[in-house]
Amino acid sequence: MKPEVSIEGLGYRYRGQQKPALDGIDLEVAEGEFLVVMGPSGAGKSTLCVSLNGLIPHFFRGRMEGEVRVGGRSTREGRVGEFAQEVGLVFQDFEAQLFSTNVALEVAFGPENFAVERDEMVRRVESVLGQVRLEGFENRTPATLSGGQKQRLAIASVLAIEPRILCLDEPTTDLDPIGKLGIFEIAEDLKDRDDVTLIVVEHETEETIDADRIIVLREGKIVADRPAREVLRDVGLLQDSSVMPLQVTRFFHEMGLWQGQLPLTPEDGLTEFKQRRWRVSPESHRKLVEADAKREEGYGEPVIEVEGLTHRYPNGVVALEGVDLTVRRGEFLAVLGQNGSGKTTLVKHFNGLLKPTEGTVLAGGEETTKQGLRRLGQTVGYVFQNPDHQIFSDTVFDEVAFGPKIREMEEAEIEERVREALAAVGMEGRGDEDPFGLTKGERQRVAVASVLAVRPEVLILDEPTTGLDYAEQRSMMDLVRNLNEAGSTIIVVTHTMWVVAEYAHRAVVVREGKIALQDTVRNVFTEEEALRDAALRPPHIVSFGNALGYPVLSVEEMLRVTEEEG
Amino acid sequence: MDPSLYLDRDTWVHRLDPRTKMFLLVGMFALPFVFLNPLYELAVLALVLFFGYLAQSLTNLRRIWFILLTILIVTTILWSIVGSGRTPLFLFVEREALLYGFSNALRIVITVIAGMFFLSTTRNEEVGIGLVRLGIPYRFAFAVSTALRLVPTVVATGLTIGQAQRSRGLDLESGNIIQRIRKHLPLLVPVFVTTVRSTNVFSMALESKGFGARPERTYFLRTAMSGRDALVIMGFGALLAGCIALRLAGYGGLEGFSS
Repeated sequence: MKPEVSIEGLGYRYRGQQKPALDGIDLEVAEGEFLVVMGPSGAGKSTLCVSLNGLIPHFFRGRMEGEVRVGGRSTREGRVGEFAQEVGLVFQDFEAQLFSTNVALEVAFGPENFAVERDEMVRRVESVLGQVRLEGFENRTPATLSGGQKQRLAIASVLAIEPRILCLDEPTTDLDPIGKLGIFEIAEDLKDRDDVTLIVVEHETEETIDADRIIVLREGKIVADRPAREVLRDVGLLQDSSVMPLQVTRFFHEMGLWQGQLPLTPEDGLTEFKQRRWRVSPESHRKLVEADAKREEGYGEPVIEVEGLTHRYPNGVVALEGVDLTVRRGEFLAVLGQNGSGKTTLVKHFNGLLKPTEGTVLAGGEETTKQGLRRLGQTVGYVFQNPDHQIFSDTVFDEVAFGPKIREMEEAEIEERVREALAAVGMEGRGDEDPFGLTKGERQRVAVASVLAVRPEVLILDEPTTGLDYAEQRSMMDLVRNLNEAGSTIIVVTHTMWVVAEYAHRAVVVREGKIALQDTVRNVFTEEEALRDAALRPPHIVSFGNALGYPVLSVEEMLRVTEEEG
Repeated sequence: MDPSLYLDRDTWVHRLDPRTKMFLLVGMFALPFVFLNPLYELAVLALVLFFGYLAQSLTNLRRIWFILLTILIVTTILWSIVGSGRTPLFLFVEREALLYGFSNALRIVITVIAGMFFLSTTRNEEVGIGLVRLGIPYRFAFAVSTALRLVPTVVATGLTIGQAQRSRGLDLESGNIIQRIRKHLPLLVPVFVTTVRSTNVFSMALESKGFGARPERTYFLRTAMSGRDALVIMGFGALLAGCIALRLAGYGGLEGFSS
């Protein structure tokens, strides 16, 4: 069979870059195949995507080597517009690619460009919105959709062109667990069609089990190109490539099973566990629960107290209703919930960005409304999701010094604090660098340091791991854990469930403006049904432990409590 | 919050052809400049507001009433001070200057409101198609409608960035003018960087959806001039002509003002 995409010796270097983004890529993708691309940040995954429809070499400036053929035709030979009909490309940043005033128009834009007749267009809009489960949304403004809906709309807008190849670049990055699942359900449906070839860049291994093949990129080269299940069982390879291995698979790997035997899902793991007659030691598990309780006793006095908080936006929408919550000194709290559930609205009350419509919020024992934002900033620091929304200085030093400077501290004091903050985020001695030249993970660290320099007691982090690869996520969260152990109270807002399981102590689940669950992370994650109602899903190893009747939070915990027979 | 002004209502104004709406917009821009007398300006304002009522778009006024009020007060005061007339009112302010200032303020307010009603009743895409139907190349028409789209997006980004910087202690409200401008740097740089970045993704997405792939394109939105459009254009044209005639006949001016 003739391959749909055939890439030979593809190399690409962006103008002004020393190192090539892609280097000697050979790849063939067959018609109807479902291919997943994985690898660390900066490995060249997105570059590979944009080389499929001719954006490379036609849109970007740089040097291309080798050949990319789509349906037999070299991308050098035609314009992007011509290949757009064969290769549909959905970008990671879904906000920036939606621009129409309603959903139907967004979907129709592609067909309009290819001069599709109106009747046919109407048919396509209807059929494509059905495929992505957005029927009935035709007249909605894209800006009013949830993250998952926006991403599905972005996919629909490309599907309407009826491309034979669909390439999705990290389509689930900003989504809650159920939103992620929605995207992969679409992928599943497309996979069943033989005429659509699917290429997906993804780092969430849990969602890629059903792919046909996985390629792993590292520093612009393909380091693995094998059937999906084989790659997913290669725990070492994934770890070396900054991809998080499947948790159940890693558990059995650490238990010493050889690669071919490793189960991938919690269900298969359960069967394997029982067949091998392994069991959970109740004593070891009790120790885990006792450690939780002991940690809780160590917390200090309340630092944030929320009572009867209701927030109504100027347009009348009630974002929060009757919320009660207390955060004590030294806690590590995770705030969970679907996109638009009100979790960000909640934490924005803690540092005074929002004022309660009803009820009170106390920070450091005093009402937030009575303290200015600047004074509150000394008690509660807030790191926004996107570091690019706050970085503006020429040097890392100036960026981090912003908070202390604006509070008119002495020169020596400022230097001391910047040094301390940079050390805390693992960037000591890099004060002279240009923040815009750093990687996303490093910019995130600068953003954290710039908040730390004011030495707040409470640190709020909004989605601190979004857009980072597994290794970067780990190091970011290890950093946050160190801050917590050094005495900071931590509040994270996040969609990344394994981060909650492994790092947070307590979790609050916000659903439709109310607190649906609030308990230790261990207890919250046993409530799988209530979580599902809030569009959440515990990580695999947690489900695995739950099914065994012993809630665990990490692979390490599972290893600690497992006993082999005899 | 939805930063765009468009209101998805099913009124006869919304259903007009975009070309008709553009004609109405230009007409409503012209009307206030036909007269100088504040009473006549108030009549024009009432007419425009009645139009907004028919288009069920008055609610958008809530979003800009503060700006409108500021324009009204500042413009009136400035002209009262700068202009001069015959009848002293108090201190150095003359009656004619005050009236002229008020008229000018109303002119600006009417244009802003008319523009807002246009955006409340017309989709960006319709603006694009309207321009294309008027013979303007699609690429240019698309650029205009994209620019309209960009404004609310940049405003939304600016609000987020404002929150991020205020959380760090940035206080935009104190200090003299120069200090305040300097203080906006932490806002402007991230807004600029973020906008450039998302514009880049936007243009890649456009190319990837076949923008400009064919010399011809089709349109999902149906636009056609109907009998109603003709009626509206003729009616409003007649109104405009009548107003001009009225002014030429000596009504609606302002005696005794000199700048």
